[in-house]
Amino acid sequence: MSFKLFNLLVQASAWTIGISAISIAIGFLLALVLSAALLSGKALYRRPAEFFISFFRGVPLLVQLLLIYNLLPFIGLNVPSIVAAIIGMSLCTAAYQAENLRGGFESVPRGLVEAADMVGFTPRQVFLRIKVPIALRLTFPALVNEAIMILKSSSLVSVVGIVEITRMAQDLASSTYLPIEIFSSAALIYLVICWSVALAGRFGERALPGGAK
Amino acid sequence: MIFDPNVILKHLPEIAAGTGVTLALWIAGMLLGVLIGFLVATARRYGGRFIDLPLGLVVEVLRGTPFLIQIFLVYYGGPFIGLSLNPIPCGLLGLSIYASAYYSEIFRAGYAAVPHGHVEAGECLGFSRFQIIRRILLPEMALIVMPPSVNLAVILLKESAVLSIITVPELTTTVSAIGSQEYAFLEAIFLLAVIYWVIVEAAARLGRFAESRFSTYRFSTP
Amino acid sequence: MQKRSFLKAALGAAMLFSASVAAHADDVLAKVKAAGVLKVGTETAFAPFDFIDAGDHVGLNVDMFAEIGKELGVKIEWVTLPWEGVLPGLEAGKFDVVAGPATITKARMERYRFSAPIAEATVAILKKAGDASITKPQDIAGKAVGVGKATAQLAQLTEFSATLPSKVDIREYPAFNDAYADMAAGRVVAVANSLPNIAFVAKQRAGMFEVVLPPFGKPTYFGFVGTKDADHKSLLDAVDAAILKMKGDGRMAKLQEKWFGTKFDTPDAVKDPAI
Repeated sequence: MSFKLFNLLVQASAWTIGISAISIAIGFLLALVLSAALLSGKALYRRPAEFFISFFRGVPLLVQLLLIYNLLPFIGLNVPSIVAAIIGMSLCTAAYQAENLRGGFESVPRGLVEAADMVGFTPRQVFLRIKVPIALRLTFPALVNEAIMILKSSSLVSVVGIVEITRMAQDLASSTYLPIEIFSSAALIYLVICWSVALAGRFGERALPGGAK
Repeated sequence: MIFDPNVILKHLPEIAAGTGVTLALWIAGMLLGVLIGFLVATARRYGGRFIDLPLGLVVEVLRGTPFLIQIFLVYYGGPFIGLSLNPIPCGLLGLSIYASAYYSEIFRAGYAAVPHGHVEAGECLGFSRFQIIRRILLPEMALIVMPPSVNLAVILLKESAVLSIITVPELTTTVSAIGSQEYAFLEAIFLLAVIYWVIVEAAARLGRFAESRFSTYRFSTP
Repeated sequence: MQKRSFLKAALGAAMLFSASVAAHADDVLAKVKAAGVLKVGTETAFAPFDFIDAGDHVGLNVDMFAEIGKELGVKIEWVTLPWEGVLPGLEAGKFDVVAGPATITKARMERYRFSAPIAEATVAILKKAGDASITKPQDIAGKAVGVGKATAQLAQLTEFSATLPSKVDIREYPAFNDAYADMAAGRVVAVANSLPNIAFVAKQRAGMFEVVLPPFGKPTYFGFVGTKDADHKSLLDAVDAAILKMKGDGRMAKLQEKWFGTKFDTPDAVKDPAI
């Protein structure tokens, strides 16, 4: 296998990384809203959030992507491949991240909240200064895990026409008849990306306040 | 475009067959995955460094690469090294190996979570290593590994849709083929989403029910 | 053939007409020209029409649409999907026209509008070089044969299989490239696809694959695909005009020669396909 082929795979990884990073970020923002709805205690907010999470955790990403790509035009939103891929992955990861965040908010020690109350924090301050930082700290490892899951799931976006690592590998393997070399190289690139994220996650965890020294 | 589910629903027997293949592959893949995963975790715990390190590397490689790439490697690469499997056995092999990597990590965490005192107590009573695993570690671990195992099972059910790409005649393959044949693409994808949603919700509920039944056997450890 | 001048005139009139209504907001040709971009959907695993050669998308379609783009004065933007997703993508309006190409069939004509044919599509068998067990198409009875999912070739293979003493074990692949790869791997003994495609593959992989003659399918043709609605009519008329112009001035024959090593005698339009 030539350097040129390997290089093509490396170039395609820009799509994998780009789409995953954007989806994780959008998914995180959506997850904040969803987890707030879950914890609001009002059925009016909670029910739709539960429905959303159940659907996006219950349907394979492959099917979700096809659905978004082909269904949106019928409600007047004809989005290009890249946008469909990002919407699909963001909604999917939002469902998972929302569950993580909910768990994080629920594990904020009650004593800390009470202590803040005692020293006269307003509910808003309690939320922003106590609950959010602690919940984010607690859910950080889960966020890193989710980022790795999404990086791997992005191998499915070829069904809506994005030529990322997996699709490029497929194209190259079928034109060169070197499936072992090409798919192994693709696997290696995924490993490097995923392990880098895991490593960065571990550093981040240590750097965050309250991390293991 | 007219949304007409009937063109799809008249293919009910084929859809049922596809669902059957999905469920059979899922259950078989999961059971094999649990078995291999348990063996891997046990070997890594008791086998010494020369078994732990290479197995650990394999597990990390399997967890760090997409299932789709693994399947492509086995399906299209396999024949070049003399492993020419048909789609269904290939899909089952791929799914079980993928599952075993994740299950082995669950069991590893399970082993680590059993209080050391319980193992020592067994040793004091003269239990053999096999007896310690069977009588102490496994029952205590079962409670600990149950929730993540149920989670993983649901993820595997969804991952099995990826097998459609290597022509395994499972649910996604069947329904999308009907969609193309009847030019009812949207109906097909929509139906596919609903079927998976129902199966996954049912599986998740069953899992939670099993968890709650199981946890009544929980005993408190100081 | 003798109809050509008539068609040309008719198309010319159609173009004039379409030009006169080009100002209409929903007219796709007007939109394409305003944007300067024609979006073309295809899959990239259908050599020699569309394929990836060392990372680059090349093939007859790329060359054809480059010329069509010149005729229309627009750039071409490719959207590449798995074949199964291409026709749904067209219906969902993801692109203006499908390259493909697709075999012109009765069932598809009811739903889509085809361009003027660009090549022959008659289906034949590709086997491993030197496989003595298959010398004529009927020899695939009872054997495993690969074909692309959601294709007209699949429909023809199924029909042919029904006429044989024992049924063919038909394996459907997401793309024909996967089927060829699987024949190299030994899971199928043959692949059924249109003659231009397998002739190209056999030439590229001489010593690995071989074409089994004669073709078993009924004579059919390949065309580009568009939707039938009124908004797309002017665009598809313009594409047709460009193809027929290329056919007239010999550019199409040159491209066929380049990619197939041979020229095809295609009609200007298929009204009543054989299948």
